[in-house]
Amino acid sequence: MLNAPTGFGKTYALWFGIIESYFAKKKRPKGLHCLWITPLRALSKEIYSATTRVSDELGLDYNISLRTGDTSTKERAQQKKNVPHALITTPESVHLLLAQKGYADFFKNLEFIVIDEWHELLGTKRAVLAELALSRLRALNPKLRVWGISATIGNLDEAMQVLLGTETLKSKMIKAKLTKKIEIKTLLPDVIEKYPWAGHLGIKLMEEVLPVIHNSTSTLIFTNTRSQCEIWYQRLLEREPDLAGVMALHHGSLSEELRLWVEDALHDGRLKVVVCTSSLDLGVDFRPVDTVIQIGSAKGIARFMQRAGRSGHQPGATSRIHFLPTHSLEIVEGTALRHAVQHNHLEQRIPYVRSFDVLVQYLVTLAVSDGFKPDEIFEEVRKTFSFSSITREEFNWCLSFITIGGGTLDAYEEYHKVVIEDGVYKVTSRAVAMRHRLSIGAIASEAMIQIKYMGGARIGSVEEWFISRLNPGDVFWFTGKNLELVRVNGMVAQVKNSTKGKGVFPSWQGGKMPLSSQLSKSIRARLDDYYGKGMKDPEILKLMPLFDEQQMRSHVPHNNELLIEKVKTKDGYHVFIYPFEGRNVHEGLGTIFGYRIAQIKPMTFSISLNDYGFELLSDQEIPIEQAIANGLLSTDNLSEDIYRSVNITEMARRKFRDIASIAGLIFNGYPGKQIKTRHVQASSQLFFSVFTDYDPDNLLLRQAFDEVMIFQMEQIRMMDALKRMQSQTIVIKDLERLSPFSFPIYAESLQRNKLSNEQFEDKVKKIISKITK
Amino acid sequence: MIQLPLNNSVFTLLPEKVVYKEDEQLLIIADVHLGKATHFRKEGIYMPTKAHADDYENLRHLFDKIQPRKVYFLGDLFHSKLNSEWAVFETLIKEFDKIAFTLIKGNHDIMDEALFAGLNIVVVNEILEEGGFIYSHMPVTTPPDAINIVGHIHPGIFLSGKARQSVRLPCYHLCGNTLLLPAFGKLTGLYMIDCKKDDRVFAVLPSEVIEIQ
Repeated sequence: MLNAPTGFGKTYALWFGIIESYFAKKKRPKGLHCLWITPLRALSKEIYSATTRVSDELGLDYNISLRTGDTSTKERAQQKKNVPHALITTPESVHLLLAQKGYADFFKNLEFIVIDEWHELLGTKRAVLAELALSRLRALNPKLRVWGISATIGNLDEAMQVLLGTETLKSKMIKAKLTKKIEIKTLLPDVIEKYPWAGHLGIKLMEEVLPVIHNSTSTLIFTNTRSQCEIWYQRLLEREPDLAGVMALHHGSLSEELRLWVEDALHDGRLKVVVCTSSLDLGVDFRPVDTVIQIGSAKGIARFMQRAGRSGHQPGATSRIHFLPTHSLEIVEGTALRHAVQHNHLEQRIPYVRSFDVLVQYLVTLAVSDGFKPDEIFEEVRKTFSFSSITREEFNWCLSFITIGGGTLDAYEEYHKVVIEDGVYKVTSRAVAMRHRLSIGAIASEAMIQIKYMGGARIGSVEEWFISRLNPGDVFWFTGKNLELVRVNGMVAQVKNSTKGKGVFPSWQGGKMPLSSQLSKSIRARLDDYYGKGMKDPEILKLMPLFDEQQMRSHVPHNNELLIEKVKTKDGYHVFIYPFEGRNVHEGLGTIFGYRIAQIKPMTFSISLNDYGFELLSDQEIPIEQAIANGLLSTDNLSEDIYRSVNITEMARRKFRDIASIAGLIFNGYPGKQIKTRHVQASSQLFFSVFTDYDPDNLLLRQAFDEVMIFQMEQIRMMDALKRMQSQTIVIKDLERLSPFSFPIYAESLQRNKLSNEQFEDKVKKIISKITK
Repeated sequence: MIQLPLNNSVFTLLPEKVVYKEDEQLLIIADVHLGKATHFRKEGIYMPTKAHADDYENLRHLFDKIQPRKVYFLGDLFHSKLNSEWAVFETLIKEFDKIAFTLIKGNHDIMDEALFAGLNIVVVNEILEEGGFIYSHMPVTTPPDAINIVGHIHPGIFLSGKARQSVRLPCYHLCGNTLLLPAFGKLTGLYMIDCKKDDRVFAVLPSEVIEIQ
């Protein structure tokens, strides 16, 4: 495992070793010698040109090919006939190779696998794809050498373990003794509001952004959501029309052509500003960029550092990042980030384990190519990190799922996916094989509508539901352009340029990421600085009036204190609790606390929250002191209480969407290709309901619930948070009026409550109680 | 159940996801999608077949309980091509030879019409009836004084309450002069409807129908 900061030549460090090893041989075997796996097509291309340059300039007989989703069928066929020495590819493409007849022959002389940016794959199901592919290729070539390349993460050792699996293989971690210099500056407003409102501040700080842009060669502005990206692009252009032509925007919904154009222009130094989202977090090296601006909380330290590292991408250069808070309390994150970066407190990436959807897909992949023998594959799969705990019964369930359809006593006639011939599991139906090849992968995407000009030029794509709210003639902003919807035809929305200059910004789901536990911890520690006698960071100095106000009305919690505020307003009785643990955990804690308090005295709550704390609101006084005495913060029966209080089923139903798609239950077709799927389309919702009723032991169904508990409820983190809160001194304050800490949470509930009316609520409540009884 | 008067006739919306029109002793059933599990399985996509057993049982039970004179299937009765489930369906229909069955063709009904004719099931594209009722699978252009009774959509409604409580329920949806029926079959999903201000929505609970708005 190689661990080094970006911009220090990791690629060549490995590449020359691989080439050296090849040319040191007296007899050089033909065929594939090295497989280089990256998480990103754009990165693949960069690795491809870097490595090809070596072969070209040294005149080496060492051929390199690229194989990603973009590679044409013709080129693929050529690669099979004329096997290159090295193949630069993605985890999905490796599985596609495993789905080809005779893959064992193709890989028989493979000596090296490099898994690039492993930290990016880890924590996604694509890592499970990589693990399974490794298990197969190791079985084919026991002498295979595997290199992982990873940036620093909180669980680097575990990251290496995931690549190794459960076998005791010889391994080594190589850490570069290099530290990337990062300069963090928070853009501060002249005067701060003592009662911060989320999102209020951002655009106001535009004036602070302009000098940063002017004093830099090239600036990347990172936003957290695609709509924020569109808005900032638009506002910057309005404020500074001269930026037209040297400013661009970049996010995941843009068409590939547009994105590539922006990336090339950045590379060549033709752009002064690019407003972007996480789409530019990764990999590709933009030498001219010397400054980065982060709009709003980066939510995590590693992400913040990664983004900072997009500037000063040369050995020894300093990365410069400016943090732009979107509300005044968020200013504290500036100092929290600086301290965390200094001490290298980075987040962990939690690897997916027991992802049966990916395993089911993998088994069919092997059945599509040359077929497999279960005993062999079971032994291999068991050696992976992800499936180290799989039992033979569970593996057998997967086998029966792909042959007779699940482990139930269901009638299995006419089911035809994988068949068993002489103990070998095979796919014999061409239709099944084709459909499977088209659905290989572990990223399930929303139904996307393509946005095209009348003439046919592609602009990008947005989620279906956004377009469905628009009528022809409506105007919206997309890719920085003012567009008018002309008509929607199937999965294509035709648009033309508009000059109205007004319009809605598309919003995309999934924008609300929770604050990471490392960043939360750092923020809690920084609150102590309020009391500190020494030099204070500029962020804390700026926040002093807000903290003074908080101290006057309530209390600024020390790191070893848990602050709870009680206040009565015209809306009812509020209790505010500040664990500083991020939205997800607050949502879970809020619901569980509500449930536990209602055990003392029957009452209902509404809950609102932000990354710093949450609120319970009721029409009766909340017996919070008594609840604490009765074990409100207890970790006993936590799982049971979660199941009793949270609508886990609805959350699991949503998670099941991806699982059903990965496991091949729903076929989404292939981007850009019309494939007849007559009468075999069903929604994941339907499968979820049918399995719940008729096949409750289905492993995929159980996986959906597990994923909710691990990733959405963040059960482990919730457990840790409760333990910490138990050890803290609890400070309960009775307030006359809302405090600066509580106000933003209160404001969130205002925005939300506008949407519902009491009568409707009552009716729904009655229905839900009937349903869940 | 809900009694819904439309154009001088009373339609009873039942929790079994069927509508009964008393004056004609007419039972209206939409989107049964029989044979779907078998069709999917043949294509290599797993679906438990037991769900269909419930569909046949539910139909049998309804016919016994209500004893209708006529039954209209509002389309998508059999999911796709002919498969082994036809035999089960045949047995069921033959048990009720006193009922006049009509199939209003839906987009999934691609089987040979002769098969239905063999069971004395009349197959039509739509039915226009006196009294101002149009029965069709998908909504059709309807004069303002007529009522269009349709299936196809599989309407559902998403209800969310406080504390992240929420539920998805099949529903009847009266939108202008179109009455949408919930899908009858167990192996049917829900399409969440967008209800406008003047629409009426009736959610289907396990043993009752409740007017939501």
